[in-house]
Amino acid sequence: MTMDTAPLLEGRGVTKRFGGLVAVDSVDFAVYPGEVVGLIGPNGSGKTTLLDCLSRVQSIDEGRVFFKGTEITKLKPHNVAHLGMSRTFQVIRVYRKLTVLENMLVSRQWRGESLLSQLSPSHPDTEARARKLVDFLTLEHLVDSPAGTLSGGQRRLLELGMAMMPDPELILLDEAASGVNPTLVETIKDRIRTLNIDEGVSFLVVEHDMRFISDMCNRVYVLNFGEKLAEGTPSEVIENEAVIEAYFGA
Amino acid sequence: MTALATLEQQARTTRNKQIALALLLLALLIMPLGTQVADQTWVTDSRLFQFTQVFMLIALASNWNLTGGFIGYVDFGHAVFFGLGAYATGVMMTNQHSIQWPFWSAVIVGAIVAAIFAVMIGFPTLRLKGPYFSIAMLGTFVAMREIIRVSKPVTGGGVGLTLPPYLNRALFYYLTLGLAVAIIMFVWWIRRSEFGSSLIAIREDEVGAEMRGINTTLHKITIFVIAGFLTGIVGGMWAYQNTFIDPDVVFVDSRTIDLVMMTMLGGLGTVAGPVVGAAAIYWLRDVVWAAFFDWHLMIQGSLLIGIVLFVPTGLVGLFRRNGSGTTLQSLWGRYFGTRAEHPNEPGPGEDGPIEGAQP
Repeated sequence: MTMDTAPLLEGRGVTKRFGGLVAVDSVDFAVYPGEVVGLIGPNGSGKTTLLDCLSRVQSIDEGRVFFKGTEITKLKPHNVAHLGMSRTFQVIRVYRKLTVLENMLVSRQWRGESLLSQLSPSHPDTEARARKLVDFLTLEHLVDSPAGTLSGGQRRLLELGMAMMPDPELILLDEAASGVNPTLVETIKDRIRTLNIDEGVSFLVVEHDMRFISDMCNRVYVLNFGEKLAEGTPSEVIENEAVIEAYFGA
Repeated sequence: MTALATLEQQARTTRNKQIALALLLLALLIMPLGTQVADQTWVTDSRLFQFTQVFMLIALASNWNLTGGFIGYVDFGHAVFFGLGAYATGVMMTNQHSIQWPFWSAVIVGAIVAAIFAVMIGFPTLRLKGPYFSIAMLGTFVAMREIIRVSKPVTGGGVGLTLPPYLNRALFYYLTLGLAVAIIMFVWWIRRSEFGSSLIAIREDEVGAEMRGINTTLHKITIFVIAGFLTGIVGGMWAYQNTFIDPDVVFVDSRTIDLVMMTMLGGLGTVAGPVVGAAAIYWLRDVVWAAFFDWHLMIQGSLLIGIVLFVPTGLVGLFRRNGSGTTLQSLWGRYFGTRAEHPNEPGPGEDGPIEGAQP
């Protein structure tokens, strides 16, 4: 991780409005290669909306977003994914009727593929990668089970695997530990660490669990009412008076 | 049971299925010869006509399944492609102003017209979700019927068109059988492909699929156009077999509803579902109609409600294995005894357990 290099993901004055409500208000931020960056804030502070703007689920009203130096402000979500950004969701999104393996296979990298080239079953290399990731996520015993039969924690792991499948450079994690038992949270943290250190994958993590943020993140941004309230290391942010006031109303 | 034994059992089941399908196909292929061997046999022209109708319904239901079952866009106006195929074929074959085209080329024109219309209508309507798409397509179907009715110089309007007669039952039998088999194989191939998995992903979660790199618009349009093209072919064949078309005969309100019912009875989003559903509904309707003429529509409606409520996976889904048994065994256990099923398997319409979920 180094901040001397160009940012992997950069937002400049990102603004999103819903009618009269400004959900994200001129937020500047950056994620550098190899970083794990936290994004925290009270409920309704605009964290998920910002993630949605970055991954193009939501359009941006003002500002610009760059990924690997390419402006993605107007790109379609699948084009952003092709560039090497993937994400998980606050409300888990897996394909319930497909098996764990099929969920992984259909989440592979599609960049540059024509429809004609998709008219055959998955390539053995793709399946081998999917099975390797399933093993890595300790889901190997469920590989042929429909995703709809998995527990919440197992689905979180599967969703992380689906985000890893296209071999991305950046993964946006939206409350990856939410509703997951402590043992599985530790597994998720361990897998994120491994990916970050061994494979150089960067992460932007939205999370309420401050211990998760402290354990995992190099830097943290704090949002409040859509505005950037603070940024710094986890310890700096936790001791920040404005952050304490925003969280506890001191 | 060991993994090796399970694999062996799966291989044996697959082989048995292949043998059964090959025998069925062989029986269907030689069936028309029955009219040649004796005057009084089970195989009559009327029987061949019945099978021809079933093959067409199988083809239509399989096509509808590509959009309704695979990408989850329940199309209540799918018969518009059938109608366009029928009319384009009819117009080309009865052209009053220049050369009358032969059936083979006219039916291809019919399919192309249906496909072009699918592109035109697909771009705006496939942006809509759920019931909005269904109603938009229903509106398209009704509007097209009226357009055909008022375009008298080309379509004959309410008077209709009379096509050159070609009453060869065996030919149509083989034509429709070939088409149905080709479409079933095509759907099977699509389902096994990565493209097919992407379609299912779109059905399960369109936003998630788009976020994971699937160009959902392109996939939806492509499968919609393919379904329109294939349905156009069936429409053209039907027009030639029927020898007469008018808006009320071709654009029948209940045609799409029948396809929905057949696919749901057989199994939505499966390859075999529309085949089983179309055959079952066709013959069941015959039996019910003959036995309870006044009540047959009510019985059909009750059947559809029963399917949705109790067997959402369809007849095919009943025999699909999940864990320790089939869904049929699970349902039997649920309503009449102990429940023997996959420990984590949710029932029809149920969610799986959420570990650590907040109360």
